[in-house]
Amino acid sequence: MLERLMNLLNSDVGPDLLRALKVVFLAVLAVATFGILYAPTVKPGKVTSYGLLRVLFAGALFAVLIYQATWQIWGYTNPDFVKFMRRYNRRPDAAEKQVMRGPLLDRRGMVLAAPVIGDVWGRRYPLGAAAAHPLGYYHSTYGITAVERVCDPTLSGYAIDKRDEALGKMLFTQRAAEGEAVTLTLDQRLQQKAYELLAGRKGAVVVMRPRSGALLALVSSPGFDPLNPAEAIRDEKNTPAFNRAVQGRYPPGSTFKILMAALAIEKGLPQVYACPGQGYVAGSGTPPIRDSEYYAYQRRGAVWPGWGRIGLKDATVHSSNVYFAQLGVASGPKAFNDMMAKAHIREPLTYLRASGGELKSARGHVPEVTKARTIALLAIGQGELLTTPLHVACFTAAVAADGRMMRPRLCQAEPIEEMSRLCSVKTAEQLRAILREAVSRGTGKGVDLPGLNVCGKTGTAQAPGGEDHAWFTCFAPQRKPNIVVTVLIERGGFGAKAALPVARALLQEADRLGYVRIGEEAAP
Amino acid sequence: MSRKKKKKQALGPVGTATGLFLLSAFAVACACLAILGVKLSNAPVLQVEPLIPLAVYAVGVPLILLWLKLSGWKGDAGLVGAVFLLCGIGLVIQFRMGSFAQGLAKPAAMLPLPLGLAAFMVGTLLTGKGRGAWLAKAGWLAYLVALGVLAAMLLLGRSFRGGTYLAGNLNPSEIVKPLLVLFLASYLSRHQKAFSETQKGIPVPPLHALLGLVALWAIPMLMTIALKDLGLMALLNAVLIVMLFAIARSTGYLAIGLAAVAAAGFGVQLISANARTRFDVWLNPFADPTGKGWQILQALAAMYSGGLWGAGLGAGVPQSVPIVTSDFVYAAVAEEIGLVGCALLLIVYATLFSRGLRAAGATKTPFERLLCVGLTASLATQTIFNVAGVTKALPMTGITLPLISHGGSSLITTLLIAGMLTGLSDRK
Repeated sequence: MLERLMNLLNSDVGPDLLRALKVVFLAVLAVATFGILYAPTVKPGKVTSYGLLRVLFAGALFAVLIYQATWQIWGYTNPDFVKFMRRYNRRPDAAEKQVMRGPLLDRRGMVLAAPVIGDVWGRRYPLGAAAAHPLGYYHSTYGITAVERVCDPTLSGYAIDKRDEALGKMLFTQRAAEGEAVTLTLDQRLQQKAYELLAGRKGAVVVMRPRSGALLALVSSPGFDPLNPAEAIRDEKNTPAFNRAVQGRYPPGSTFKILMAALAIEKGLPQVYACPGQGYVAGSGTPPIRDSEYYAYQRRGAVWPGWGRIGLKDATVHSSNVYFAQLGVASGPKAFNDMMAKAHIREPLTYLRASGGELKSARGHVPEVTKARTIALLAIGQGELLTTPLHVACFTAAVAADGRMMRPRLCQAEPIEEMSRLCSVKTAEQLRAILREAVSRGTGKGVDLPGLNVCGKTGTAQAPGGEDHAWFTCFAPQRKPNIVVTVLIERGGFGAKAALPVARALLQEADRLGYVRIGEEAAP
Repeated sequence: MSRKKKKKQALGPVGTATGLFLLSAFAVACACLAILGVKLSNAPVLQVEPLIPLAVYAVGVPLILLWLKLSGWKGDAGLVGAVFLLCGIGLVIQFRMGSFAQGLAKPAAMLPLPLGLAAFMVGTLLTGKGRGAWLAKAGWLAYLVALGVLAAMLLLGRSFRGGTYLAGNLNPSEIVKPLLVLFLASYLSRHQKAFSETQKGIPVPPLHALLGLVALWAIPMLMTIALKDLGLMALLNAVLIVMLFAIARSTGYLAIGLAAVAAAGFGVQLISANARTRFDVWLNPFADPTGKGWQILQALAAMYSGGLWGAGLGAGVPQSVPIVTSDFVYAAVAEEIGLVGCALLLIVYATLFSRGLRAAGATKTPFERLLCVGLTASLATQTIFNVAGVTKALPMTGITLPLISHGGSSLITTLLIAGMLTGLSDRK
């Protein structure tokens, strides 16, 4: 019996049942009240029946009831009272808290997330899975994440003091007041395109403006439905809820050579090294570091003769591991550690500062180097070295922005900030020329779009337990870069094969949308 | 309507009262189901012991009605109906707030209702069938007992949350109200002539009568001041004014009385720090919203969230108002049954007072008339002070809402008074 009642109460009928009881209670109370009011009374006395006192008592109660109504019904007209309730009312569904959540907009004012009229928890995400990672979700069971979370005070209107007014309006119109809109730096078209290009493969894309740090796209794949995050959260095999672009940590592979090249130019290190075919051994007991051509020749049954004595430009164009291992050892622990600090590899990168807190990437990982020979493996982006795609995008952007490393940012209202100076303007200029050649005649040839002067670096990072991770990071145009694109495909194999076509298509799209040729806002 | 009326008259007063009680019981049952529904959907365990007071109500009230019928009572059915409706609503609210949650392990919560129903019968017995006139002889005794209770409170009482209580959180000051009303009725009815003298509408009682009353009245008043029970003092003075008005039937007493009460209220807050705080909170609760203004503002917030129709019984969050079960119970009522429910409740209260005064007019002796007026006035001022305090219409005086607030001595005393009124309304 009790169990059946319980089931009834917890079913859909439960609330209706309680509402019906409430109505019946008030109705019966009303009947009883008027029954009492009109019940036959005693015969009036001969002396008096105290009419004045009766009116006085009833009048006093009536006056109090009217005064009560000024709070109970018209309380919203008192700003002090509304302020008090907003802060200290513990009722979870209190009217003053039912403000319609503001929308999230992209840089052109297109809707990324919008409220649903008549549903406090309702949310509409036009991009769906494509933007689920940066935007996060707003769910009555699974909570609030990412941008939805840190922008919550603004979106839900807590940040505005006009809330009191909004509440009053709402009570009159029976329509929820709206919170504020938040405009992001994302471009909905690039976000969508990048997500489509990843085509369900595990990976990440970061597209940003080098001199302002504005993120035009921040994509992680596979995506998930932000309206129904349950499945994504439970899927431990593909981890679709995991934001690979900012939380995923991968060995950077050859993209890391950009930093080593910057270090070499900046410090004036010797730039010519002999690169024998047999590879380079940094110290006794360490395995030799070889160029990838060594293995390619081996498979064909031939012997790789090596690049011979080459300079920094050729080494970068060919992505010579043997060269960069020697360069790394030559740089020494101090200069290397110094560079890691300037590139913020060991720190989380803050990519959104909003009213409700900050969004940060994961930390990269580089061991604190004490012996020069340990740098050999790190210098080619292998060994005990991990970075997020956002880190790679940021140091690529620093080269594009004349050596100034800008803080990545996701919200238009955030100020443009310089995090550090990675290298001098001159170094950056030289490095851009080298990276241009890496595209025009090197490993990045496939992205050499006519007229765009793309500069970039491929990466093929070995990782234990499977295929290599494929990287490609680039910017364009060479002279005054306006856009940075970094692509990672998890277990994608060769960077030039898996990651580069994605970057190429994105650069074409960005060019079509005018991002490559049109300059951007920059730090003052 | 006329058919209904005829039917009711055919039923006789007890029959009408029974009909009204059945309606009340139906409303109470609906409320209980709603509350149980909310409680069960939160925790699926049906506790039986907290339901005992409701069972006592369902059984005890019909027994009382049966007893009234057998004793040939022919009083005011509306008065009895109002008392038991309010009593039922009070039980429902206390049940909802968890006052009976500890069940029989806490007899202090379970006993007041059966004791109160017994007190109701005692009251009816004392005053019914014209026996009330005999009580006039007990005037001085009542006065001395009242002084004794106040003295005991002064000597043995412990201070708790701004009130004074005897051991076991007993607050016998409630009983002082009917006792002093009885004394006043007895004293004033004997000096009816003196207090009826007026010149051009202004009452001018002879000096010796006035001084006598002032001297006798000053003792309990000083004791209530010493107890810092300003609510009780205000209430007793309001009752005195109403009774003086009732005996002289001169509005002059009311005008002078109202002016005196306002002046006294203002004067008291100059002397007492406690009263001053309450006065300041009343004038501007937003000056210290998280401190002194917290309770009243939470009460108003509870009302606001209830709105016109209320959150539904059991569905609100009145626990956010500190000590909501006693002085501030009206806030919980307002949140859960809304302004509409409050309006109905206040109509019931107003009817109760109106019926009490009508009954006073119909009594035979001046003493009974004064007693009836005094007892009604005591309930009425208590209700008005409480409701006005919770809605911030007046400063909070720290007195309970009759029949609805949590508090054993309050419920028993109120039912005793209600019983006496029921007896006095009996046409004989």
